[in-house]
Amino acid sequence: MNRTRRLGRLGGLVAVAVAAAPFAWLWVLQMHDAPDPPTAQVRLDMGIWMAVFGTPWMIAAWLLWRAWWRETGARLSTLDGPGWLLAAAAAILPADRRDWGAAMAAELAQVQDHPARWRFAVGCARTAVFPPRGGRAAVGISGAVAVAATAAAALVTGVALPAGRVFVPVFVGVVGGLAVARSRPLGRAGRGVGVAGLALVGIAGCIGATIWYLAEYPLTRSGHPPSTSATLSPVTAVVLAVVLAGCLWLAATPPRWLAGDRHGRRFGVAGALVMAAGFVLVSRLEQRDTTLDAGIMSYLLLAAPAVVLAGSVAAAVAGRSFRSGLAASAWATVLGALLVILTWLAEAPRWYRQGRGLLLDGDGGGMGANLSDAIWWTLIVLALWALPVGVLGAAAGSARPRRSNAREHAGPVSAP
Amino acid sequence: MTGPRRPSAQTIAVVLALAEQPATWRYGYALCQQLDLKAGSVYPILMRLADRGLLETSWERDLPAGRPPRHLYRLTGPGRVLAEELAAAPSAPAKTARAAGGVGRRPRVEGT
Repeated sequence: MNRTRRLGRLGGLVAVAVAAAPFAWLWVLQMHDAPDPPTAQVRLDMGIWMAVFGTPWMIAAWLLWRAWWRETGARLSTLDGPGWLLAAAAAILPADRRDWGAAMAAELAQVQDHPARWRFAVGCARTAVFPPRGGRAAVGISGAVAVAATAAAALVTGVALPAGRVFVPVFVGVVGGLAVARSRPLGRAGRGVGVAGLALVGIAGCIGATIWYLAEYPLTRSGHPPSTSATLSPVTAVVLAVVLAGCLWLAATPPRWLAGDRHGRRFGVAGALVMAAGFVLVSRLEQRDTTLDAGIMSYLLLAAPAVVLAGSVAAAVAGRSFRSGLAASAWATVLGALLVILTWLAEAPRWYRQGRGLLLDGDGGGMGANLSDAIWWTLIVLALWALPVGVLGAAAGSARPRRSNAREHAGPVSAP
Repeated sequence: MTGPRRPSAQTIAVVLALAEQPATWRYGYALCQQLDLKAGSVYPILMRLADRGLLETSWERDLPAGRPPRHLYRLTGPGRVLAEELAAAPSAPAKTARAAGGVGRRPRVEGT
């Protein structure tokens, strides 16, 4: 086995181990924090659950590593340290600076002296990580505007919407910080108008619904202090703000591998719309059935990953590439999360008015508790469960034409 | 009213180095060596100059097999005008002139 293959296999094993580590750590943590010493059966049951949720991630990590290794890694394995550094740094350059990455790599090929290679590569990497932007004055002004907007948001929210005094300023601050830190041209958005438009609708809807919940139901239980009954705890508020700001940034300046794939964008948008429509349909059907109070947990756990899986398989088949399926999976997860949170928050009041409790599982609880349920359950299910399943779908969809091509090239198979 | 801000000393050095032989294509690494500047300084300057239309870029042709083509740079018309203005400006620091190869260091001839 040559060095490149050995490195590829070793990297795959490391990727699997890295993907498995959080689940192993979670298992150890639960055993350690259990109030009573867990029995062997409890240990086994918890281990099975960790395996159920961890296995798709481990397989997905191996598939992602394999795809990256075939495309880039094997070539990189022939490079020395400075070459690696420069290639890695050049990979994060925005599309409009890609030529400069190639220019630096070509220059490095001419530098023979080893210390000089390192010096040159480090300098180029610094340029790639912090590429020149507009004038310093423009950066300073935009930074000042971001700080002022964050401070204004904090002041206004503190007076007008006390329950949102963490969420709103953090969202404004993160968006402002991202805008100042990375001023990237928005040229690629033209190739993904549908994606960007749907993301904007989802983000605006989530912000509007969150503010409505916080205004109408600032506490989940009346008569309790906000520290124990706030509809949006500080941690959840920060998570929601960072996720929404990240989605906004992703939609406005998507990375090359996400922006450039037509099939990935189309099937990702379709998957997100189907996921949200299915959510509303299940919610309405259950509202009509008076014998069922199951909520939408089963839909989230089973149907949402199935939608992401179907979209990624379809995109990989249509685009005949793993990358198309991966892009569809990523877009369906991101856009689906926004739309599911939005539809969850829109559907929950109907349930509540019918006396059916919380939309998640029909349990009792204050109306405001729907907000945290919508955020955490959607993010956990889609990011931890549906996303790796989507990666598996991308691999399955992209493997299919390759096998059929192989059969065609192999010619007729003689009977034994 | 004030005019446009004067470029940094390093930018001036790069512009003046490119203006020494304005018709000749230059390489990024060779500019680093000539001016004794790090790549992390020279490349951002080259990017900005190209963004502003002061620098023309091209890829090397007719190269030996197995070697990637290098990126070449030379000043455009407006770039040469800027170089003349900078060279004529009285506040051009001595260090800039030295770095540009005006004193004690012979500029390398490239593009051959």
